[in-house]
Amino acid sequence: MTFRNTAAAVPLAILFMLPVSQLWAQEANYSIQTSKGSTLDVFSQLNPVVINRIHSWELALTGPDESPVTGAEIFVTGGMPDHDHGLPTLPIVTRETSPGRYLLEGVRFHMPGHWQLTVTINSPQGDEIGLLDFEL
Amino acid sequence: MKRFLIPGLLVIGLGAGLGWQLLPAPLPQAWTPQEAALIQSLSLSQLHALSPDPSNAVADNESAAKLGQLLYFDSRMSGNGEVACATCHQPERYFTDGLPLAAGTALGPRHTPSLVGLSHSPWFYWDGRKDSQWAQALAPIEAGHEHNLDRLQVIRLIAKDRDYSERYTALFGELPSLPATPQAASPLGNAEASASWQRLSLAQQSGINRAFANLGKSLAAYQRKLLPGPSRFDEYADQVSSESGISGNGVLSREEIAGLKLFIGDGQCISCHNGPLFTNFEFHNTGVLAIAGQLPPMGRYDGIRLAREDEFNCLSDFSDAQPEECIELRFAKDDNELVGAQKTPSLRNITETAPYMHGGQIADLTAVMQHYNDAPTSMLSHNEAKPLGLRPVQLSQLVAFMQTLTAPLNVDPGWLVAPSQ
Repeated sequence: MTFRNTAAAVPLAILFMLPVSQLWAQEANYSIQTSKGSTLDVFSQLNPVVINRIHSWELALTGPDESPVTGAEIFVTGGMPDHDHGLPTLPIVTRETSPGRYLLEGVRFHMPGHWQLTVTINSPQGDEIGLLDFEL
Repeated sequence: MKRFLIPGLLVIGLGAGLGWQLLPAPLPQAWTPQEAALIQSLSLSQLHALSPDPSNAVADNESAAKLGQLLYFDSRMSGNGEVACATCHQPERYFTDGLPLAAGTALGPRHTPSLVGLSHSPWFYWDGRKDSQWAQALAPIEAGHEHNLDRLQVIRLIAKDRDYSERYTALFGELPSLPATPQAASPLGNAEASASWQRLSLAQQSGINRAFANLGKSLAAYQRKLLPGPSRFDEYADQVSSESGISGNGVLSREEIAGLKLFIGDGQCISCHNGPLFTNFEFHNTGVLAIAGQLPPMGRYDGIRLAREDEFNCLSDFSDAQPEECIELRFAKDDNELVGAQKTPSLRNITETAPYMHGGQIADLTAVMQHYNDAPTSMLSHNEAKPLGLRPVQLSQLVAFMQTLTAPLNVDPGWLVAPSQ
């Protein structure tokens, strides 16, 4: 094998080692670090997230070792601290679409400004909590 | 000299006080990038296309809209033959009536809301007790103070009128076969109509309900045509950037621009009156006084419960949606935050739709601004708004800004008048 062929083969090999879903999926809209070192990446089906449109989020949960966490219960609550009110809807995780990926349905934000969400996760590795602050 | 000192100081003090109340603050040279983005977000050019209504298979069908238009202007759709939808939702008044409380066959308990742009809302009525425009359209027909008719008589009217029955059949198939008696029947009617309804077979009830729902779907198809047109504000907003001067293309006066600055800033109006329709179509308690002679209403707290129980909601047999498509209803919240909360109205054409609030309690826009400046304690639950502390001149600027939101509708004129059959 010539040097030129080897140089071409290395990036190709890396390409095939990556899971296809991660390679082609959109970048996470938001990322939440939990109290136990897990990561919850938010992929909004309405991208970018804007006010007044009801939509779903896909939540990708990985443990501290970066492996997908399956069989978790995830609850999302929140609101606008500056306005002293909650979310306008009651979003619910309705199913785990693939290992470690969860569908959160019924998400809507109805005001521009600072939003704060609390994510509570009950998984086989225990209970953990995460906070997400963002501006719309 | 001393004798002039105290009067002189008084005059200066009074002058300064009056000036503070009445003199406008200078405007900055340009909008900040954040302000420019907020202004652009309010432009009608940013309004997304009307979302499909999966619960209504004919929502965007022209023939259904035409049938809906005929029904909309037809006063035979009432118990006394004098009330049509257009009686209260008058096209020449931006689909309102100019009255504090709606007056159909009798005086009603609520102010008539405008229908312009309402098809973008996921919820209907001030308390959101209907989850589709077609389900909403059915309720006034049977309400004692509005059309005061019943669903069986409505279907009889369609069956007897050749034009109606041909249009109906072309859209939905055959009308249900109707019993010879009774003439009137509805589960929501008076004791006699209700008893008559109970004597009908389940198949008869279902057939009448389905035909009644189809008429609601036609009325909704018509109302989806009623969209706002671009105003002076939109002409201004579409050229705004943080690089351009605040005066922009000169279509807004300094006073109106000052009002816009307050609207997106210290006035906090944009918190609820946001997006191109100047509403989030959500429910808020803003401490509006109860309607004279009525207890303070529970608002959306009751509204969501009624929507869930509604025989014509998105999850009902008469909806064309799959259950998983009923997203708004499935994920609606119902907690105590909604006590006394009413739906945010659009501010498009607001100068033409006085009086204001769910009971028409506030007569003019100056008084509306004063209400939000004061943010009085709510009679029920809590007022989400907080006192603003704005000066009189600033309240006038906000009223001036409201003048920039009025424009002719973006509707083919043929839809705005009673059609000839």
